[in-house]
Amino acid sequence: MVAEGWDDDEALLAALQQALRARRAVPAEFVEAAKNAFAWHNIDAELAQLTYDSTRDSDHALSMRAESASIRALTFASAHLTIELEVTQDSLLGQIIPAQAATIRIQTSAGTETALSADEIGCFSIHPIPAEPFRLHCQAFAGIDVLTGWVTL
Amino acid sequence: MRDDPSVITLVARVGDGDQGAWNELIERYSPLVWSICLRYQLNRQDIDDVGQTVWLLLVERIGSLREPAALPGWLATTTKHECLRILRATRRHDHEGLPPEDQMPPDPAATMIDQELITAERNAALRAAFAELPRGCHELLSMLISDPPSAYADISATLGVAVGSIGPMRARCLDRLRRSPHLTAVVGDQAEGIGVKENQGRAW
Repeated sequence: MVAEGWDDDEALLAALQQALRARRAVPAEFVEAAKNAFAWHNIDAELAQLTYDSTRDSDHALSMRAESASIRALTFASAHLTIELEVTQDSLLGQIIPAQAATIRIQTSAGTETALSADEIGCFSIHPIPAEPFRLHCQAFAGIDVLTGWVTL
Repeated sequence: MRDDPSVITLVARVGDGDQGAWNELIERYSPLVWSICLRYQLNRQDIDDVGQTVWLLLVERIGSLREPAALPGWLATTTKHECLRILRATRRHDHEGLPPEDQMPPDPAATMIDQELITAERNAALRAAFAELPRGCHELLSMLISDPPSAYADISATLGVAVGSIGPMRARCLDRLRRSPHLTAVVGDQAEGIGVKENQGRAW
């Protein structure tokens, strides 16, 4: 009743060899990066979901080519806050809605964090564009504490 | 495999903030994510990006995973989704101006993902069972499957056992491996008359 011929000694030994080989084939840095991702496990903020991504919108892709420097537009929404992002050639422009001053922290998958401020109308600019996956942690007055999903640009 | 108690325990420990349990999950399932990326023929940079996204999503959601044993299926689906997303984005840059339907690459690897998942779960179970074998068995089996395989004379000299007892030891060790709870969890699905493939499909 053993699966895949594992009741046979030769087959079991060959399967074990294959299993160990499959693990060795995975580069050490790949595994290491995966282990480091756990650094972000304990963040207690409201999650903002991606509700719009221009790369998934073919109408938008067409209009973009015609006009501006904007390469990609993203919107994250939570119950208390919406964050709109616009990717340009060399920076990332953002706005918080409803408009308000806030502290924005850029967290990268490598574990770094950079803080900047959004002005009274909720605008902020990130320069240069993070090269690795990142997310934004937005804290405003009145206890608003929102975290976006991960973005790769 | 969906009832593998060790996966359920690991997921619970990760939920409690245990980095060691997280590392163990990664040891088990990074080959699954890696092999699916290879199926999609991504380059190394893209594989790293997919990996990052998948693990970060897992960190975020593992606390709310309803059925912890369905984790491997979730990983396979999420990895596949991320691979396709990267492929579409790459195609868009390479073929600007093509009609949208041509920008969508076909998904030739999709049907193989089921197989990758089954293989990865079997492999993870075998490695987990192997890791828990007594030291003597671990060493003996390691020598037997080394490439090239060690000669019985070398095994005899290294492990300090008579050549004549290697055969019976080998059989005993393999039997021990076979009886490991990790392996019986994989086998259990089949014994119940539920195909592994069908079972995994449901776990997704």
